[in-house]
Amino acid sequence: MRWSLIGLVAAVLLFWWVTEPPSLNTAALPVHEPDLANGERVFHTGSCASCHGEDLAGGLQIHSDFGTFVVPNISPDAESGIGGWSELAFVNAMMLGVSPDGSHYYPAFPYPSYTRMQVQDVLDLHAYQDTFQPLASDQGPHQIGFPWNVRRGIGLWKIRYLDQGRVVVTSPGNTKAERGRYLVEGAGHCSECHTPRDRFGGLQKNLWLSGAPNPDGEGTIPNITPHKDGLASWSEADIAYYLESGFMPDFDTVGGSMVEVQENLARLPDADRKAIAAYLKSLPARP
Amino acid sequence: MFRLVLVISALFLVFTATPLVAGDSPQEQRHELMEQSKDAAKPVGGMLKGEVEFNAETAMASFKAWVEVADQFGDLFPEGTETGYDTEAKKEIWTDRAGFDAELKKFSDAANAAVAANPQSLEELKAAAGPVFKTCKGCHEGYRVEKE
Repeated sequence: MRWSLIGLVAAVLLFWWVTEPPSLNTAALPVHEPDLANGERVFHTGSCASCHGEDLAGGLQIHSDFGTFVVPNISPDAESGIGGWSELAFVNAMMLGVSPDGSHYYPAFPYPSYTRMQVQDVLDLHAYQDTFQPLASDQGPHQIGFPWNVRRGIGLWKIRYLDQGRVVVTSPGNTKAERGRYLVEGAGHCSECHTPRDRFGGLQKNLWLSGAPNPDGEGTIPNITPHKDGLASWSEADIAYYLESGFMPDFDTVGGSMVEVQENLARLPDADRKAIAAYLKSLPARP
Repeated sequence: MFRLVLVISALFLVFTATPLVAGDSPQEQRHELMEQSKDAAKPVGGMLKGEVEFNAETAMASFKAWVEVADQFGDLFPEGTETGYDTEAKKEIWTDRAGFDAELKKFSDAANAAVAANPQSLEELKAAAGPVFKTCKGCHEGYRVEKE
């Protein structure tokens, strides 16, 4: 009896210890002069407005197997938004999934992708978002049931799934595909929809970008590897043109939740869309 | 031989340019019109992508094909054709007919404007075709069912 009690206490302490939300310290941040134009580019790459809204006030509900996530207000309002956040707080949120009060965010916020971004890009994004109108509207808490409502448990999830490393190693010297990799695996967070998840909601990297069930409804999110069920018949020019115009090679149009993503990517420089195309065509073909 | 080729081409043109085959259901007819729109978009898109050299006549033929589609399309959604033949028409076409007609008018206007613009360079083609392409997407968003 006594030993099982000690065992239990030890387990709780161990759990508490390994799930401690990490945080960078200010010294880890580079000295950086914000570049608003680059911040805007990062903003569109990440399609931030698709979930948080054009005004960043949030409110969208994301229904998942774990419960309903409510997209928060990230406008620069000090009360209900993220106004007044330090650069450090913003970087911790984006790259480590940790809030200013030191608790874990649910990975419905795609920081498992953003963690691969360069800090400079995150800082530019922060500066760009600060130019928005502050809007006071608190969107309220997520509706998540036990055990998933124990946020501390996300620390375990992070040990298993949060990884800053490259998922795909592009061939040396192919700077175009490497730029594409950075956009797709990082800010673009394409894999969050295009890669299937396991039962804990972690991405199955061995099936990277090979398509997945549609998280918000019927049907599937397409395979975007160069497999015959994916983009095998699309040239790089086809992919880049699709991202720019919304037209597939057969001139059918983009549909579903990809519409907003495509419209955001249309605002990037041409070279970025071509880089994304080069990366996608360099992927291993997967069914 | 040359004459034979000419006759065959002419016949081919007559048949493919006749959009409506009598007896087809409205669902099939409107599907066929959308296929024609796509086929007309391909050469123009090829030019915009830089895969095909700019050709003013080919572009004009596509613009005119779009005008023809736009002229007929709106009549092909009578009551009772909400389902069947794997139609991708959204019910909003019938519940919000005014909105659908407005989107269709944008397509018609843009296609007619493209014909009037009569582009003679790739730059001019971009300016003329871009607005038409935009209306395809715009209407599909509200009034076409997303398959898959």
